[in-house]
Amino acid sequence: MKSKIKILVLLLLVLSVSFGYTQNIITGTIVDQNNVPLPGANVIIKAKQKGTQTDFDGNFSIEASNGDIITFSYLGFIEQNITVASNKSYNIILKEDVSALDEVLIVGYGTQKKAILTSSVAQIKGEELSKEPVLNATQALQGKASGVQVVASDAPGQASTVIIRGLGTVQGGRDPLYVVDGILTDNINNINSSDIESINVLKDAASLAIYGNRGANGVIIVTTKKGKAGKMIINFDTYTGVRDILTRVELANASQYVTYSNEAARRDYLTDNNPTNDDSTIGFIPTNQPYDTNWLDVITQTGLVSNYNMSVSGGSERIKAFFSAGFNRERGVLLNDEFNRLTLRSNVDYEISKKLNFSHNVGVQLASGTPQNYGLFTAAYKQAPIIPVRDENDAYGSSVNINNVANPAIDASNDFKRDKNKFFKIQSAFKLDYEILQDLTFTSRFSIETEYGRFYAFRNRLGNFLAQNPFNTESSFEGDSENPANTRLTVTHTNTYRWFLDNYFTYKKTYNDAHTFNATLGITAEENRGEFLSATRNNVPLDSNLNFNLSTGDEDETQLNSGALGVVDRLYSYIARINYDYKDKYLFGASFRRDGSSKFKKGQQFGNFFALSTGWVLTEETFMENSVFDILKLRASYGELGNQNVPLNVLAATTGSGGFYAFGQNQNLQQGITITSTIEEDLTWETTEEFNVGLEFTLLDYRLSGEIDAYRRLNRNATLQLELPDIIGFDPFNSHVGEIENKGIELALNWKDNINDHLKYNIGFNVSYNKNEIAKVTNPFFNEQIGGFINNGQYTKKIAVGQPLGSFYLYDVEGIDDNGDLVYKDLNEDGVVDESDRAFFGSYLPKVYGGINLGVQYRKFDFSVDTFANFGNKVYNGKKAQRFGNENIELVEFNSRYTTGRPSNTTPRAFNDVPLSSTYYLEDGDFFRVNNITVGYTIPSTEKSFFNSIRVYATAKNPFIFQKFTGFTPELPGAPLGNAGIELDAYPTLKSFYVGLNTSF
Amino acid sequence: MKTEINFFKTYALVTLLAFVLVQSCSEDFIDVDANQETEDALTPDRAPELVNAVYNSLLKWEMSSFGWTGLTSIASDDADKGSIPSDTGADKNLLDGLQITPTIISVSEVWQGHYNGIQRANQAISRISEFDMDVALQTRLLGEARFLRALFYFRLVQSFGGVPLISNITSVDDINSGILAKKSKEECFAFIEQDLLFAIDALPLKSEYPASELGRATKGAAQTLMAKVSMYQSKWPEVVAYTDAVILSLEYDLTPNYEDIWKETSENNIESIFEIQARGNEPAAGVDKYSTIQGARGEGGWGWGFNTPSQDLNDAYTANDLRREATIMYAGETLFDGRVININAPNPRYNQKAYSSILTESEQTGKNVRLFRFAEVLLMNAEAKSIIGGDVATPLNKVRLRAGLTAATDLSTLAIWEERRLELAFEHDRYFDLVRQGRASMVLNSKGIPFMEGKHEVFPIPQEQIDISAGALVQNPNY
Repeated sequence: MKSKIKILVLLLLVLSVSFGYTQNIITGTIVDQNNVPLPGANVIIKAKQKGTQTDFDGNFSIEASNGDIITFSYLGFIEQNITVASNKSYNIILKEDVSALDEVLIVGYGTQKKAILTSSVAQIKGEELSKEPVLNATQALQGKASGVQVVASDAPGQASTVIIRGLGTVQGGRDPLYVVDGILTDNINNINSSDIESINVLKDAASLAIYGNRGANGVIIVTTKKGKAGKMIINFDTYTGVRDILTRVELANASQYVTYSNEAARRDYLTDNNPTNDDSTIGFIPTNQPYDTNWLDVITQTGLVSNYNMSVSGGSERIKAFFSAGFNRERGVLLNDEFNRLTLRSNVDYEISKKLNFSHNVGVQLASGTPQNYGLFTAAYKQAPIIPVRDENDAYGSSVNINNVANPAIDASNDFKRDKNKFFKIQSAFKLDYEILQDLTFTSRFSIETEYGRFYAFRNRLGNFLAQNPFNTESSFEGDSENPANTRLTVTHTNTYRWFLDNYFTYKKTYNDAHTFNATLGITAEENRGEFLSATRNNVPLDSNLNFNLSTGDEDETQLNSGALGVVDRLYSYIARINYDYKDKYLFGASFRRDGSSKFKKGQQFGNFFALSTGWVLTEETFMENSVFDILKLRASYGELGNQNVPLNVLAATTGSGGFYAFGQNQNLQQGITITSTIEEDLTWETTEEFNVGLEFTLLDYRLSGEIDAYRRLNRNATLQLELPDIIGFDPFNSHVGEIENKGIELALNWKDNINDHLKYNIGFNVSYNKNEIAKVTNPFFNEQIGGFINNGQYTKKIAVGQPLGSFYLYDVEGIDDNGDLVYKDLNEDGVVDESDRAFFGSYLPKVYGGINLGVQYRKFDFSVDTFANFGNKVYNGKKAQRFGNENIELVEFNSRYTTGRPSNTTPRAFNDVPLSSTYYLEDGDFFRVNNITVGYTIPSTEKSFFNSIRVYATAKNPFIFQKFTGFTPELPGAPLGNAGIELDAYPTLKSFYVGLNTSF
Repeated sequence: MKTEINFFKTYALVTLLAFVLVQSCSEDFIDVDANQETEDALTPDRAPELVNAVYNSLLKWEMSSFGWTGLTSIASDDADKGSIPSDTGADKNLLDGLQITPTIISVSEVWQGHYNGIQRANQAISRISEFDMDVALQTRLLGEARFLRALFYFRLVQSFGGVPLISNITSVDDINSGILAKKSKEECFAFIEQDLLFAIDALPLKSEYPASELGRATKGAAQTLMAKVSMYQSKWPEVVAYTDAVILSLEYDLTPNYEDIWKETSENNIESIFEIQARGNEPAAGVDKYSTIQGARGEGGWGWGFNTPSQDLNDAYTANDLRREATIMYAGETLFDGRVININAPNPRYNQKAYSSILTESEQTGKNVRLFRFAEVLLMNAEAKSIIGGDVATPLNKVRLRAGLTAATDLSTLAIWEERRLELAFEHDRYFDLVRQGRASMVLNSKGIPFMEGKHEVFPIPQEQIDISAGALVQNPNY
């Protein structure tokens, strides 16, 4: 009711302005360079303090006398003045403001003008994401922004790993926080990249402190598109393409494999030193083999991707709407690995009154996939080529007599298994902005996010058992267990749900045309819930798995292995920020967040996080007036950030298999409970302090722009593991006993020029250097955790003071001895080579990474190239090192191996033992890759055409790579003590070729 | 009109401010219920579960599997490392040849596994003592926990000699050099005896438990362990007294057929005094890979092939001794359940006492591991009497006759020791027996095993534990 009154009032005001006097009536339209009308543009006669706005079609009409100066302005466009002459009608073409001085960036809980920003924020515009195929928005960030390290994965439906300004934690969560239209979330896999208006990456404490105890890993703010008032625009975009493995590893063929294996067998028998052994007793593999299988070819195919996206946007003065629907379908390069995704989005802005705005952003994702086991890549690499996919009797080939590798064709097929995952996610934000006073706005936003996951897994265990090994019989399955589980079906449902309520005031005011204040003050509350329910049933009929039907199968013990879990946590926070500038010249900022999280112990739930920043725009000074710089800005900031995503501070009771025990003649399980650990009473969030200095510049008539930043971020109470002496009998537990440091320098340069009206081009270059290490540990019981296990009893990594996280800890190979065996360096010179002779040989974390991006526009053609490079990291060839015996070997290994007739000082003799984790398997991870080459042609519209524009393009993704690593890919995501930087069960990098179409109606 | 606008502004401002203020008063919004069971869940009604979790530690790899088998069997003359030459089992080749260093993983596992069990026992004992609960049940549960703690400490003393004694829940702040230091062997034995005296009083007879509780520690089990602890201290009258008590309780007798003892069907039978209750069916609660480690290796095999019976043990059995076939599985042999061991298996012999007929592929061995059985009580009784006098023949012959042998003609201690070896082979005692009998160097050296007096009586304390103690924990001599 109130708002209706309000609207009336406003209408009356507008009318009273419009019909005041009677003079000349000047009319006209305002359009942009593309001839698109600009509704709501300002038309003002400053001298007379009167004005109006253009209507929906960009038309205006205003009374003016000859000689009046009319000013036309529109946000983001260069103001234009005309002096009224005899003409009664003016068509105004406003040019976009290329100087970008007034560019506004979205930061946490508000916006800020880029020109006076005192923090380090990188931005990617949405247009860059729709000009070429982008399967996942995080992948598109690779090589585009300094300080943002993206480890891409080409597995269907898989997100990339993003690390902002180095890894700052071991035990805590490592992912940045994502903020989608104000919703704080864990990832943006559900976002259709065509819907993205902009992605802003907040990198330093000045911009991150407003996110308090979730800011320490950086924040990625994603803003989705909104409708614009004016003509209805319909976009239809599509692309389709093929994908294949970029780099292949050449393996030995059947006869080479046999030669190698038999050499290894003979050496094993000789070292066994049994005098009765001779060639006749050795189980040699016959040399004439009927099969020569290329296992990678068996389990892979050409991947296919197709994507369709349709959007409708437009609006009136009062309602602006954007709707989109996108469908993505991918057939992976691995057999039976598929992923489909449907996304829907509806973003609507309602102007209820001049002072009251309401908007909702609703995004829905439906996805489904048939997941595959990426261990198949390792199995295909290791399996002997002499094994057939199927033998002459059409039975699956088995290597049970030779090695312990399963037939990859069995696991790649759906003969004995069936998996399906389904996801449903809704993200919605409802936002109300009310302008209380001219300078004071109140914003209230309620958001919810909920996601359902369903996981179905059917296993024909008996069928698989029989197929894997010809010696297996039905009676030997599970020994002679009375009731073997011949088949098994597991269905798991997960649900996460969260809601947020943000209420804040924004105050913006300039005093005396000099002192500008921009302040935000508010409160936010949040609740997260998670649930999980799983049920398993044995001996489900083979056919019923098609619908994953749990209602069949064994009646007894039906709920075998059923599990359920529910968690809830809540946050309650106060936010505050103030920015002050004096004439856009001297800049100051302060931000603060007080975060309370239910995750922590009562009484210790609240933490305060803050940042202070300052900047100086030198080009606003008079002494800089004639300098080459268009903009030159210095800035500095210091702040403290938290990471609340740390292991919880509770003495969890150990139950289930950790405590139960069978009693009685029937061996009935009785539950057990115990406490297996102790806790650090004061365990809480990790606190990272960050110091940042930066320089921003634009020169040569805005053609060259750039930013240099240097930072030091220190996680000063890193959560690390303590391991007490064994006699205390407690498991290792977490404590704040360390400091993890990241120091780095970032540089970004952009050159943009128009050579003539037909030829424009731009070149971007960015490079980041980061040095990571555990700087300090303060407790003698610090557990130098080992990790990077490669599943043959060998580990490869360890964390230690003075070393970067994820450092490889290995035996140092110094050569090959006269027997052809690897010789390991006796580092401590005690005469034995053992554990104490291991040393650190670098980390999987790169020291330097960056990209060069090129864009050219010539008449109606556009051309772009994006590249990415990464230096100073190490990669462990895990699939090669995971040897037990009689696996296949790489062709290079075969050709260069040590033999009695041909000694080698680089490659050992044929062997069949589990090799020690050593530098022999450690390689340089440096690589340079062309990520994207796109050529497009735009068909312009004419008066008669039914469309605004049509663009056709062709793209090559990852067409070339220059890598030192001899494996499939040097890009290996994972946990620092897990598989990161280890090629084992890893998805290879793919090259892809697409053709696409962008149309606009 | 202006008034109305002002009114509207004021109204909105007040409403919004009120809303914000109300919200700000609700910091207790973040008080939520715990998401998982914590210490608070340990209420008196869960006292039995606290004790069950102590039993659970017997199932662990570190407690019962590879390292323990390595120390107790592979290091002795009963067993060889086994498996294939290139597979050392991490350090089992070193144990086999007594090339033991403080950094080998087997000693580390045994040390850690047992102290882990002791921690669980301490949790149960400390907490249950405080509970206000049914006194009879409380006493029995404390008896069970203290029996298990005594068992764990006894096995530590067997392996390492004197060790640090932890008898309470110990927090980080309690850690000091006093706690970390070793206690003497005598102090350890005294501590173990205290626990066992309590357990003997507190625990019921095997027959007094309901059928559903079969497998819990009994008075008989506590008495048997007490006899064994006494034997290790040469307190022979006590050995006689406690073994007599077990014999006269009439709760136990021998299994008629020796080979049957290790079949699934004989679990907890008349001869059984205490065994690890292992369940192989899902959800499994079995002894971690106990059978897998010792199963036949290679084609048609089901295990890793470690801890293989030595030629020396094989030859120690006389021709009529039924125990040889029951203890050793031979390559090419058809077992009682019809399984055939591949004639080309990489090792000629495997340990049959670890063979589990069902679920051989399972990582969690469903076979109960027999820790104490009546035959050992008889042999301890005989050994004690052979030293301090008494009827040696009756208990000894009972064991011999079941094995298909004739009554003993030699009733000497040495003869009983030999009988003990053959009867209890692969039951985790041989190495410790040789040391206890004071003839380890003589026996082992004669078989080419380089046992060094003054060193190999005990195993080394794990080096990393010495390092972490900052000198408080002192290494055993000559390591």
